Amino acid sequence: MLEIRNLHATVGGKPILKGLDLKVDPGEVHAIMGPNGAGKSTLGNVIAGREGYEVTAGEVIYNGKDLLELEPEERACEGIFLAFQYPVEIPGVNNTYFLRAALNAQRKYRGEPELDSMQFLKLVRAKLEILHISDDLMHRAVNEGFSGGEKKRNEIFQMAVLEPRLAILDETDSGLDIDALRIVAEGVNRQRSEKRSIIVVTHYQRLLDYIVPDRVHVLADGKIAASGGAELALKLEEQGYTWLEQGGIQALDMEIRA
Amino acid sequence: MNTSSPMTLVDRWSESLRAAGPLPGPGWLQRLRERAVSEFSESGLPNRKTESWKYTPVRAFEKLEPPAFGSDRGVQAVVRPQALLDADCTMVDIANGVLAAPLPEAPNGVSILALAEGMQRYEIQLKRLIEKVDLEGSSNAFAALNTACLEQGLVVHVSENVHAGALLMRWASSAGGASQFQSFRVFLLLEAGAQLDFLEQYQSEETAEKGLNVIIQAELGHGAALGHIRVQSEPESMTLLTSTSIGQTADSRYSYRGFDLGGGMVRHEFEAELNGPRAFADFSGAFVLDNKRHVDNHVSVDHASPDCRSEQFFRGVLGGRSRGVFNGRALIRTGADGSSVRQSNANLLLSELAEMDTKPELEIYADEVEASHGATVGRLDEDAVFYLRTRGLGDDQARRMLTSAFCRAVTERIEDRALAAKVAEMVDSAMPGGLPGNSAGPKAES
Repeated sequence: MLEIRNLHATVGGKPILKGLDLKVDPGEVHAIMGPNGAGKSTLGNVIAGREGYEVTAGEVIYNGKDLLELEPEERACEGIFLAFQYPVEIPGVNNTYFLRAALNAQRKYRGEPELDSMQFLKLVRAKLEILHISDDLMHRAVNEGFSGGEKKRNEIFQMAVLEPRLAILDETDSGLDIDALRIVAEGVNRQRSEKRSIIVVTHYQRLLDYIVPDRVHVLADGKIAASGGAELALKLEEQGYTWLEQGGIQALDMEIRA
Repeated sequence: MNTSSPMTLVDRWSESLRAAGPLPGPGWLQRLRERAVSEFSESGLPNRKTESWKYTPVRAFEKLEPPAFGSDRGVQAVVRPQALLDADCTMVDIANGVLAAPLPEAPNGVSILALAEGMQRYEIQLKRLIEKVDLEGSSNAFAALNTACLEQGLVVHVSENVHAGALLMRWASSAGGASQFQSFRVFLLLEAGAQLDFLEQYQSEETAEKGLNVIIQAELGHGAALGHIRVQSEPESMTLLTSTSIGQTADSRYSYRGFDLGGGMVRHEFEAELNGPRAFADFSGAFVLDNKRHVDNHVSVDHASPDCRSEQFFRGVLGGRSRGVFNGRALIRTGADGSSVRQSNANLLLSELAEMDTKPELEIYADEVEASHGATVGRLDEDAVFYLRTRGLGDDQARRMLTSAFCRAVTERIEDRALAAKVAEMVDSAMPGGLPGNSAGPKAES
C-alpha cells in the first residue's frame, strides 16, 4: 500500500525528516508516536503534498506509484486522506456543498458518475449518526465556529464519506475530551477494513486504547527509532519520551527484538 | 499668427449642448439647464487633483461623444438581456439611454411615467429634487452634464401605504452607432408607508462602446421602504456612471444590493440623508474585476437625525490589472445622538498587478454613537486552498470555491432567496479565469 524509503524533508530549509522508512500493508493500522518536534506532522503533510515541505531525498511509493510526483488533489483522488490536526475554517462554504463537491471530484477522477444532492444525502445520513453530527452542522460553513470536538468529528466524517484507501490521522485526539475521543475512535474503527490502511499520528497513548494498532513506531529526530506491536505504546506511556531521548531506544529495541 | 487651438472636450460638449437649443419642459428647467451648461463648461471634467476622483481616471469618458437628443437612437435595434425576474414582472426598458415605449401598466396606487408626463403630475417634488443637485465644481461636472441634458427620465410614484412590488429596469446599449454618453434621470417618490423593490439590470450588446450617466433620486416618506438591487454585467467596452441620492424621513428604510460583474469603467456614487429619527440606510455591494476593468464605489451617509442606522458592506475580487476604489463616508451631525454606523470593506487580490484603494471616512459630532469600520485587502488563504485540495478538489476549483464564498456574504443579503441564488451564480461565472497558483497549467488526464 505505502512504502517510504529513506525520506528526507526540510521545512523552510530546516531538516525535519532525516531518513525515515515505513511500510504499511493493506488493512493495517499503524501508530506513529513521538515527542513534539520529532517530525510527526511533517510526515502527514509530506504525504498529503503540502507546499513548503521539500523532499530532499528518498521516495514514497503508494500503490506502485511515485506519490511525490502527484498534486495534492491527485493524491486525494488516488485514495489518500489527511485528517488535519487543525482543520481549517472556511467561511461562506457550506459543509454539505463542499463535501459533495469533493466526493464528486474524486468520483469523476475514477470515472464514476457524480452524485446529485438527493443521492448524496442518502449516502451521508447513516454516517452522520455514527459520529453524532447534527444536521445543523452540515448546513454551516466548513468548520466555522465549530468546537474542537466538532472539528475532529467532521474530519472523521469526511473520511467516512470519501472512503480513502489510506488515511492519516494527524493528532486527531488532541483537544478532545473522553466522550468525544470515544466517538471519534468508534468512527475510525468502523472504517477499518482489509482494503483500508490507517496511520494514526499521536503524542499520547490514550487514543490507542480505543484504536488498537497493528504496529507502533516511535519517531524521534526525523527517523523511526523503534517499531513494535501495541505494547510498545504502553511502554512509551510508562517511561515517557525523555527516557527515550536519553538512550532508552537501545534498550527498547533490544526488548522488542527479543 | 494662427491663434486658434483645437477645441477642448469640454468646449465641444458644451457647444453641442447649447446647439441642442431649448428642450421640452417648464421655464425654470430650461434656465437650470442653461446654468448647468455654464457650470460644466467653466469647471471642466474632474482630474487627479479632484479629491473625490483621485483614483478614478476620466480618460474613459473623454473617448465618448457628446450626448444626443431626441429618440432617434435606434431603440428597436438593441438586444435586451434576459430579465432577472419573471418576464411578467413590471419592467421598463432603456435602450441607448432612451426610455422604450410603451411603459408597463402600473399596479393600483403606483404611477410609472416618462419624465415629461411626470413633470406635469409631480412638478413641485421634481423641481425640488432637480434643484437640489449640486452643479458646481469639477467633482460635480457629470451631475451638471446630466442636468444640462435633462430630457430622458422616468418618474415612479407610490402612494401612501401601497406596496408596489417589484419594478425592473433593464439598461441596454447597442453595439453599433456613435459612442455617445447618454444621460438619464430616475425619480422614485415613495409616500408614507409605501414600499417598492427597484431592480436595475445593466447589460449591453457585446461590443457596445457607449457611456451612461445616470442619476437616481429617491424620496422616502415616513416609514417608507425602498429596496434597490443592481446587477451590472456590461461589456468591458462600456462606461457607466451612476449617482444615487436618497432623502429619508423618520422610520424609512433604504437597502442597496449592488453587483458589478462587468463594465470597463464604472463608478457609483451614493448619498443618503437621514433626516428623520430611526431611518436606516444599508449599502451592500460586491464587484468582480479582471483585465483592466475599474469599479469605484463612493458612499456618503449623512446622519442628521437621532437614532438612525447606516451600514456599508462592500466586497471586491480583483484579478488581472484591474483596479477598485471604495470610499465610504459617514457624517454624524451634532444632535444625531444614538446613531449607529457600520462599515466594512474587504477585498481579495487575485493578481500581483491588481490594485485596490479603500478609504473610510467617519466624522462624528454627536454623542452615544456606535461606530465600527474595517477595511482589508488580502489574498486567498493558502491553508484553506490546501485543505480543499486534500479532499480532491483541483487547485482552480478550490480557489473558485473560496472566492465565490467571499462574495456570497453580499448575495446572501438579497432577501428573495431565488434571486439571491441566481445572482450568486452570475457572480460565480464572472470570476476571473486564470486564477493564480495554477501556474503549472492544465494537467494531462491520467
